[in-house]
Amino acid sequence: MKTILLLEDLPEIRAWLRKLVLEVFPGAHLSESARVHDAIELVGAIKFDLALIDLGLPDGSGVDVVTKLRDVQPEAQSVVVTIHDDDEHLFPALQAGAFGYILKEQARELITEQLQRISQGEPPLSPSIARRVMAYFSAKAKPQPSANAMPNVSLTDRESEVLLRVAKGYTLPEIGVQLGLSRHTIADYVKQIYRKLNVSSRAEAALEAQRLGLFG
Amino acid sequence: MADAMRRLALHFLFTPFTRLALIAWLALTGAMSAAQTLDIRSALSAPGGSSVFPADAAALEVALPDEWARTRPGFGGTLWYRVRFGALIVPASDDLLALYVEHVCSNLEVHLNGQMVHSGGRMGGHITHNCNHPQLVALPSALIRPGANLLDIKVAGHALAEVGSHQRAGGLSALSIGPQSLLATRHARATALQVTAPQAVGATLLLMGGFMFVLGFINRSESHLAYFGALSVGWALIDARLWLRELPVSHSTAEFLIIALLGFITWAGVQFLLRYAGVRHRRVDTLLPMQCALLPLSLVVAGPAHLNAVANVWYGVLALQVVAAAVWFLHHERRQRNAWPMATMLAAAASAGIIEFLAQWTVTRPPAAHIAQLVVPVIFVLVGLRLVQQHGHALHQSEQDRLQLEQRVREATAEIEHNFRQLAELRVEQVTERERKRIAADLHDDLGAKLLTIVHTSESERISTLAREALEEMRLSVRGLTGKPVRLADALGDWRAEVVSRLAQAGIEGEWDAPEELPQTLSARAYVQTTRILREATSNIIKHSRASHCSVAASINAGDFQLVVQDNGDGIAIEADRRLDRGHGLASMKSRAKQLQGQCLVESGPGYGTVIRLTVPLDRAMEGS
Repeated sequence: MKTILLLEDLPEIRAWLRKLVLEVFPGAHLSESARVHDAIELVGAIKFDLALIDLGLPDGSGVDVVTKLRDVQPEAQSVVVTIHDDDEHLFPALQAGAFGYILKEQARELITEQLQRISQGEPPLSPSIARRVMAYFSAKAKPQPSANAMPNVSLTDRESEVLLRVAKGYTLPEIGVQLGLSRHTIADYVKQIYRKLNVSSRAEAALEAQRLGLFG
Repeated sequence: MADAMRRLALHFLFTPFTRLALIAWLALTGAMSAAQTLDIRSALSAPGGSSVFPADAAALEVALPDEWARTRPGFGGTLWYRVRFGALIVPASDDLLALYVEHVCSNLEVHLNGQMVHSGGRMGGHITHNCNHPQLVALPSALIRPGANLLDIKVAGHALAEVGSHQRAGGLSALSIGPQSLLATRHARATALQVTAPQAVGATLLLMGGFMFVLGFINRSESHLAYFGALSVGWALIDARLWLRELPVSHSTAEFLIIALLGFITWAGVQFLLRYAGVRHRRVDTLLPMQCALLPLSLVVAGPAHLNAVANVWYGVLALQVVAAAVWFLHHERRQRNAWPMATMLAAAASAGIIEFLAQWTVTRPPAAHIAQLVVPVIFVLVGLRLVQQHGHALHQSEQDRLQLEQRVREATAEIEHNFRQLAELRVEQVTERERKRIAADLHDDLGAKLLTIVHTSESERISTLAREALEEMRLSVRGLTGKPVRLADALGDWRAEVVSRLAQAGIEGEWDAPEELPQTLSARAYVQTTRILREATSNIIKHSRASHCSVAASINAGDFQLVVQDNGDGIAIEADRRLDRGHGLASMKSRAKQLQGQCLVESGPGYGTVIRLTVPLDRAMEGS
């Protein structure tokens, strides 16, 4: 039986999500929250398998909950459920450790499918997110003064290849065919990309915090 | 350029100098060629103030030149000289016989055979000052006797003790008697050297000095010019003695004034050297004027009888000061690249001073002494020209600097204005951007949330779909509102991912064809409108066409971006077009293309599928909204 956190401020949408989650994961135990503050408390108290997190909340951003969850329960999967489809909103959440995202206005069947895929380890990746990830890692590849203090997280050639093809608009099954790889292998690459993005971003954030601490 | 100007200036500086040297040389050679003249080197002399040679008094045989300071120490007044000469020298029939006296001080009268033939001016009272003026006296033929002739010369002069310089003490040089034409040439040369040239240089000095004094006085930062002007004017005033042979004041007053003037000249000279080097000494500033007051005071206290002794002490003191100042100046300026002209001139002035010093011990001053005396004012003129040149150069430089400064100020002002404009624009942009973001956030939070609620709570599938479409529209609008230009390659990636996955979900085989390298960008608005058109077209295919295959081809053609969407479905019946238009959204697709100054053509026929050709001019699409 799964334990699931549901963070959503709109009651109707929360109700709709609840129904949907229970359809995908029958018998799951749901903890619901409408505020960042409450959600962070829940994260400290209950061990979750999955968390559906809205980004724009009355008392802050869901990204904080993603970060908290990643810190205290690394095994839990955070999925961003949002109305924002642009990388400006999504990318910080992915950096914080979100494992995929779902756009709220999509049809019920689509969301169900995506949710299943995510729980099976197949997170979605849009071209704009892929471009953003590529830009992030290529900026990191440039020599930096603090480079030796950073863990060396870089993408493999295959991962880069997958990212590039996603950015060009190819779907994951198409890429699998192009590279002669199974759908699962491609999904593994995407998972690795998400993981590396998170690890690298966290290291960067830690370094930044250290620097601020030194000067503050 | 600057070098050439300097060379030219030096050329001008030295030209008058060479000219003077030439005159001096001519004078020297002239003095030596006196073959046909009788040079008289001894005479009988007797003191006496009468109008004839005092025959009763005991006459002494003296050698000429006769310097009173040596032969009659302390003597001042009138002295007679008697010279006899035979009729040996007979000039040509058309020539006169003449007497040439190279130096007499202060004045003389000439009597030939008892008849006065020449007077140089006043012999008593304020005696005419002729010390610098060579005398040429024509001896009338009528008075010349065939036998022996008597030439009496009455000389009025002052004792050395009463004058400031040997040159102005009483005395008579050797005499020459010969044809006037010959002696006139000698006289002219000597006059040119001793009188005319110093007069000309003195006048120049006076003018230039006055000019520079005014220049330096007005321009306090160049006070050395004022001091130099004072120095020049002072020197010119001493030389004024050449112009003013008959002063309305007594001899002792004139001597007193000249020596007193030397104090001022020293003051000006020393200060000039200090200020020229850019240094100012408070003690020097006070001590020199005090010395100027002390000097005349000491002369008054000593009285006219001891004028020479006191003056000599002062000469030494003043000369020491000037030499010290010059040495200090040269030491101070030794590293300056342009110090050598001043060094040369100081050296020349020093040698002139040494020659003048040595010449004090001769009666008839050698031509070198005359030249040396002339050299000092000439050097002053040269230094003055150099100062004027430097002043002009500095003026030019400052003018250039001013122009440069003005130019810089203009540039800086332009830059500031430019920056200010940019800043204002940036600020407007920032404010606009912030406002857009706020509107976007509001839309998402309020309208978005409400539409989303409708999407997921509506019982009616149609309303749910409409709300979803409205949400998508809203999001695109927001992106159009806030978005930055999108790279065409990125836009194609987005479109491909959406179209191909949607078609795949609908079970339609999708084919996508787009060029790889696309450096162009689309404005956010063009991106949004094209997304809408493509989304509408895809929706039409999925909902209405019953097609099994769909191809999308993107291309760049003569500055236009072209997108062709082709399916193999039922096509849109022309008759049904109007009725179905709402559902198909063909009209809205066309109007959106029009908004981008592009066009959207639909070719269709029942059973032939549909081809949608969207053309968007890239240039205009890039301009943005």
